[in-house]
Amino acid sequence: MQNQIELRKISHFFDTSDERINLFEDLSLTIKAGTTLAITGASGAGKSSLLTLAAGLETPKAGDIHIRVDGKTASATDMRAHSGFIFQHFHLMNELDALGNLALPLRLKGNKDAFDIARTWLERVGLSDRANHKPNQLSGGEQQRIAVARAFVTNPAFVFADEPTGNLDEITSGKVADLMFDFAAEGGGALVLVTHNRELANRADTSHHLAHGKLERTS
Amino acid sequence: MSSVSVALDNARADIKGSDGRLLILTQTLLIFFLLTLSLTSASVQRYLSDNLDSMLGADMAVTSYDALASDEVDMLTTLAARRSTTQLMTLTLAHKGAWQRAQLKLIDDIYPLQGELKTGASRSAEHVSRTRGPGLGEIWIGPRLSTKLKAAVGDVMTLGDTQLAVTAIVFHEPDRLMEGHSVAMRAMVHSASLKGANLDGTNNRYRYLLEANASERSAIEAWVAETLPAAEITKKDGGSHPLALFWQRTENFLGLASVILFFMAAVAVDMANRRHLVRQKHRLALYLSFGTRLSTGLKISLFQWGLGFIASLCIGTALAYVAEGFLIGQLADQFPGISWGWHTAALVKTTLLTLALLLAFQAPALWQLKSSSVASLIRAQDTPRATFLRTVWGFSSLAMLASFYSDNALLTGMTLAAMGGALLLMLLLTWLVLTFGELWARRRPGLLPFSFFMMKQRIFSKSTQILGLGLCGLLLLFTLMLMQDIRTSMDGYVRSNDGNLLISAAQPKHMKAIETWASSTGSVIRALRPFTNAQLVKINGAKLDDFVTKPSDTLSNVKSPIRLSWSEAVPDNNRVVDGNWWQPGEADWHRISAEPEVLTDLGLALGDTLTFQIDGKLHDFKLTVSHAFRPGRGSITFWFQVPPLMVTEVAPSVRYIGSMELPDAAWGTLDTLWQQFPDLSMVPLKELTARFDATLAMVTKLTVGFAAMVLLMAGVVIAASIKGFEADDRQKNGLLMSMGLGKRDCMKLSFYDWLITALIAGSGAAAGTWLAGLLIYQSQFSLAYSPDPAWLIGSVLVMCAVVCSIGLTYSRRSLSASVTDLLAD
Repeated sequence: MQNQIELRKISHFFDTSDERINLFEDLSLTIKAGTTLAITGASGAGKSSLLTLAAGLETPKAGDIHIRVDGKTASATDMRAHSGFIFQHFHLMNELDALGNLALPLRLKGNKDAFDIARTWLERVGLSDRANHKPNQLSGGEQQRIAVARAFVTNPAFVFADEPTGNLDEITSGKVADLMFDFAAEGGGALVLVTHNRELANRADTSHHLAHGKLERTS
Repeated sequence: MSSVSVALDNARADIKGSDGRLLILTQTLLIFFLLTLSLTSASVQRYLSDNLDSMLGADMAVTSYDALASDEVDMLTTLAARRSTTQLMTLTLAHKGAWQRAQLKLIDDIYPLQGELKTGASRSAEHVSRTRGPGLGEIWIGPRLSTKLKAAVGDVMTLGDTQLAVTAIVFHEPDRLMEGHSVAMRAMVHSASLKGANLDGTNNRYRYLLEANASERSAIEAWVAETLPAAEITKKDGGSHPLALFWQRTENFLGLASVILFFMAAVAVDMANRRHLVRQKHRLALYLSFGTRLSTGLKISLFQWGLGFIASLCIGTALAYVAEGFLIGQLADQFPGISWGWHTAALVKTTLLTLALLLAFQAPALWQLKSSSVASLIRAQDTPRATFLRTVWGFSSLAMLASFYSDNALLTGMTLAAMGGALLLMLLLTWLVLTFGELWARRRPGLLPFSFFMMKQRIFSKSTQILGLGLCGLLLLFTLMLMQDIRTSMDGYVRSNDGNLLISAAQPKHMKAIETWASSTGSVIRALRPFTNAQLVKINGAKLDDFVTKPSDTLSNVKSPIRLSWSEAVPDNNRVVDGNWWQPGEADWHRISAEPEVLTDLGLALGDTLTFQIDGKLHDFKLTVSHAFRPGRGSITFWFQVPPLMVTEVAPSVRYIGSMELPDAAWGTLDTLWQQFPDLSMVPLKELTARFDATLAMVTKLTVGFAAMVLLMAGVVIAASIKGFEADDRQKNGLLMSMGLGKRDCMKLSFYDWLITALIAGSGAAAGTWLAGLLIYQSQFSLAYSPDPAWLIGSVLVMCAVVCSIGLTYSRRSLSASVTDLLAD
């Protein structure tokens, strides 16, 4: 497999001033390119922590994470250069307009045609007429559509989405989900999403439920 | 290139926001202040060096406080192509019932060696060039002295037993530069005219003006260094201007002032950075989420900061050049002919220093940026250690800067100790007030208890705000207090002296005449202490300049002869600080006691050997005691004191310093005493006050300018502090309003919040000011520190009122937004 993340028997916990909270033990999971994977679970179950571990943002307390990018073993840092993120709170930059936000990852990668490409993507998410609007002039759904496009605009190998529809209504959620799954299918990368939304999770190729430190495949 | 354009976009976006503008304003002000200082300083330095080339009146001058022996003079004559000997002394000249202290120059037939004298027949007459000085029986007087004594060409003046005819008003001497910044009134006579007059004025100097080529100059230099340790050389080439040390000390004082401004700028930058940093961290985390490398993200942040610095530099530099022009105009009286200049080297040096320091302020922020992560966008992460790091780092870099800038380690140490003490006190007060306030508030309803609760929750950020405001208040209060007290002490000099006439140097031959005159006029001699003139030439066998490398007031004073006194017991107005005072009748007269300030400034320790030149001979003394001034028991004190046996063994020329109380009627007969003894040095205190007034006017100008800078910086700190926390307040108010509280309640809450903050900061500032006064006043200014509680409390109240008013104005503005807007934040 060209692009793949393999979590092998990982365990994770964190300490508060009074106690140690164990999130999961001996958990294994494989994320492959060209597939979509959803993780569901109750609040506090450790879904976001599992996502940060899979994305290489944190190191597990025990166990290994093996990453392959373009057929070669890669470090978490190398993988980051081939990843995109979608956040629950959108995290658009307030000082940039819609086009500027969308062009930002391309510009940071040194792409001279950043704005032209961004304009195309803006069209794809149906927001061409909002190109010069600042985030505070956009609705939540519009902001998240830009955030989704921003995550996929560089054609990453992996996209990690943390509650991407958590702040949106049902209809808007559906539109954003359509975009995510369409873009993932087109790009051929892997999409990992953490969500409470069963309907959204069911659209993924595989779905897992995290509870009491154990990950159980549900579909 | 893309990173550059992103950084440019970010910089453009930030400058549109008030946080970004505040940062740029702080940096700009700092650059403006420091550049103004160094450009003006460079102009003065260039003036001094240009001036040296054309105003020395000789190729080289050797100055000694004792007359050289005839074989030494012969040697100088042999080594140089030509030589002219002049002698300078300060005397009191009396004429037609008026008297005036003046500097008398005794010249020989060869004077002036190089250049020309300029004289006139009256004060307003045309200047005539002369190649010879006054002849036998003549005296030339300066225009100001002529006015003061009402003496004109054709008058006859009496100096002791000698009658001298005023034959010219002297306007210019080619060796005028040697007098440095002295504005003493001047007179000139031929040395042969006063032969046998046996005059021995104060501040006696012998100056040997020499004409010599390069090889002769180096031979003379080597010979003087070897043979005449107490002599001073001034050269046209590579020599230092007599004003240079004076200016260097002024620069050092201004340097310490710059450190204070730097501290305030650091506080303002830290405050303004608070929100800026949050935005930067958010940006960087987003960049990371796009797969950008951390190093690229940091580069963008650094580049963006660099753009801000360049903007500040451009504005600050332009303003500094304008200010330099203004200050040069102000300095024209002190340095005639001084001109404005670009001074590229000074500009680059100061810019680099400012850049280094501002980067040092940024280092903790960059360190915090390094800890940015994508995970922080998913889960809130806090880095409380950063507050500590920022404080420690900021304080250390500024402490290093302070020690680099200041010429007075003790003063710098004390300033830093006072600030450190105040910071600790404010931290403790913050913790105590908020913790106990919250405990008290726990079971009480109402807005004040709720305020305590909220502030306790935000204790970390509140501490930063309190420390910033408190430090700023401390620096402002201390500057204002010092200014006020220096003025008061100068004004009060008359009261602190016992009497209204200061006897600054009386010889034994004068004493009988003084006593007779005093009893005949009903005057009372209040205090009298003996001393001899002694010049410190070596410390532990090393020449003064080799042993002491840092300039200070003390060093520049001990380079000339100082008053060395003796006393069997510890004088009433002194106390022993270290070591043991000698026993009565002690046989070892080679012991010496010095004031702690002298020890610090010269880097001395008990056990060191000090070599003094007394009446042309060298004597070693071992430093075994340190004494300090005890205010309130007479004002005459000495830097150095030795056992009385020294007088018997060395038999020095004894002088007396003291004071007299004259009834009004006695003043009119003083001129008889001076006509008889022109070398008797006495200064009426009203004259001394007039001199102080002139100095005071200059000090006032300087301090008012400095206070204006501090006030401006204080304004920026307060604005930064309030702006830095505005977001928190908006969010808090928004939430509270959404829960049903009215705007009035939110205003009340803001008021309580600001009042508690200002009270803690104000108390810390007042305590720090008190501590600084306690530490610095007595040791550095010999002033008894008597804090005025009403003034301190008043200052705290004014500070509270100012902070609360500005804070409430901001709160009102933030409350004008709707609940929806506030929640959207």
